[in-house]
Amino acid sequence: MAEALFAQFLTGFSIVAILLIISLGLAVIFGVMRVINMAHGDFIMVGAYVAFVMQEYFKLNLFWGIPAAFLVLAGIGMTVEWGLIRQLYGRPLETLLATWGVSVVLQQGIRLIFGPELRYVRAPQLLDGDFAVPGSNLPFPYFRLFIIILALGLLLLTYWILYRTDVGMRVRAVNQNRPMAEVLGIDTRRIDRFVFAFGSGLAGVAGTILAPIKTVSPGMGFPYAVDSYMVIVLGGVGRLVGTVAGASVIGESETVLAFLYNNVIAKLLVFTLIVLVIRVFPQGLFTLQRR
Amino acid sequence: MSLGLPRRYLALAVLVIGVLFVFPFYAGDFRMNQLGLFLCFVMFALSLDLIWGFTGILSLGNAVYFGGGAYFVALSLKLKYAATNPARYGSGIPDFMEWNGLTAVPVWMRPLENIWFAAPAGILAMGLLAFVFGFITFKRHIYGVYCAVITLAESLIFEELIIEKQAYTGGFNGITDYGSYSSNINFYWVILAVTVVFFWLARRITTSHFGMILQSIRENELRSEFFGFEVANYKIFVFTVAAMMSAVAGGLYAALNGIISHQEIGPLLSVEGVIWVAVGGRGTLIGAFVGTILIKGAESLLSEQFAWMWGLLVGLIFILVIVLMPDGIVGTLLRRARRRRALAAGRAPAYEPRATGAEDTPTA
Repeated sequence: MAEALFAQFLTGFSIVAILLIISLGLAVIFGVMRVINMAHGDFIMVGAYVAFVMQEYFKLNLFWGIPAAFLVLAGIGMTVEWGLIRQLYGRPLETLLATWGVSVVLQQGIRLIFGPELRYVRAPQLLDGDFAVPGSNLPFPYFRLFIIILALGLLLLTYWILYRTDVGMRVRAVNQNRPMAEVLGIDTRRIDRFVFAFGSGLAGVAGTILAPIKTVSPGMGFPYAVDSYMVIVLGGVGRLVGTVAGASVIGESETVLAFLYNNVIAKLLVFTLIVLVIRVFPQGLFTLQRR
Repeated sequence: MSLGLPRRYLALAVLVIGVLFVFPFYAGDFRMNQLGLFLCFVMFALSLDLIWGFTGILSLGNAVYFGGGAYFVALSLKLKYAATNPARYGSGIPDFMEWNGLTAVPVWMRPLENIWFAAPAGILAMGLLAFVFGFITFKRHIYGVYCAVITLAESLIFEELIIEKQAYTGGFNGITDYGSYSSNINFYWVILAVTVVFFWLARRITTSHFGMILQSIRENELRSEFFGFEVANYKIFVFTVAAMMSAVAGGLYAALNGIISHQEIGPLLSVEGVIWVAVGGRGTLIGAFVGTILIKGAESLLSEQFAWMWGLLVGLIFILVIVLMPDGIVGTLLRRARRRRALAAGRAPAYEPRATGAEDTPTA
């Protein structure tokens, strides 16, 4: 029992990793633009289909699918930002609803092109098989290890962009005080477009690594998107540590509770926990004070 | 009884109600049932309009209350049906319970066999759920996108819960075959009557002093707070009332439709309701009616041939309405009419706040 629980805990890390990649994109977008992208789940789904197309039509494995999905989704994100979100500037609820429309369109569009049936994507051969977790003889798949490393890498990349580059400094400035940043000569629209494209690209990456674990279908993204909205609500906005904390708490507790009870009860418990937490911290656990 | 409407719209209202009343005489049973179901959706949309269009709370999870009310009624009818027709399933318990290894109806579910207990219990339960939920969120100034996202998650979890607890809810297949009230003209009239009463009630609420405060909350929550109104209490009240309305609508829907499934409780219906209200015109009660009938009507006419196309079309319509016509059909027409009347009377058109409200209210 204890060992099985530990194994579950380890599996939880890969769930956390996926959730982290999904939420990173969402959190950066929400932090800067105060916009919830309801199509985020469908961006994940499109990412998974990009991986599928790369595999079936270009005979390229997932290592190629990841950058391809990032680029495709960054492109889609940029288009959505330019064509839709910018038109609704300053009306976050309207934006939320409009992106729901985008979600419907993407799902139906994919259904038209690829049909409603389930698709399968293989993990790269290099990552087949398991290894024993040091200190025990629990098997752990290489692919899940890869997911964890990838998530850490993307987290570092995001951190680096936000805190060590010029554009990141501008992003943080807009995040803290948009009018002031504008007055100081920062092109906030360009920042918005950059942030939205980057966040959408991350959703695409998340989709590609989900593809071998789950089956690929037009409706696959929605539950993940809802989980990542909860990460934002729990973790707060404006600081990466909030996103990491939110993803860790939600991912781990859902996995472990799902093992102890079942999937749905786990979700219910975690949801109740989140509602109780925001009752105490309405801004989430870690939120950057805006000025 | 003037329905609380200005005189120039009274005749129109009476006409519409009259047409709906005699509709079954000219249409077949199929269309009558369909219209009955649409009216249930209209009531659902009306409740959303109260909380979103008038108070500015965007909830993406209100199907929970619709579906909750529906499940109470469907379960009750099913228990009754199984008990009175023991030959049907071999024993006196519903088929889905039997499939899941139950040998008797659980004790706590027994009272539900009586529809006159189950239906009010469902409505009260949903009211209580909404009250608790509203108390937790609104008292802490959780508003805007946070509220939308949390209600969305709530709705998703309830849907999964219904699927998971299949021994008690029929799971993925839902509850079917319980002797519905379809093709019953009296029941259709009951639904119509409830719809009219709800509209009258909503009209009373929104035109009262109380309704003004709701709209001021929509326009600027913080300022309403500074004027001394306990904003959270107003929100909780209207949220609870809307939830109970949805539960009534759901109960009638279940009784008429004869089948109920997890879709009636999940995010899909929740958001669909928001789409109807947005298309019809949020902040105008009649918009809920117009939007629902238009979209559902077009769906049933078109999707028989173009099911796939329809989804795409709804998405596009929704985007266009949000971006180009945020007042919806009725809202835009009313705005124009008022403007024209003002100009004809030689007055400058009055400033009108848009129904979209001031959303980025700071919590300060």
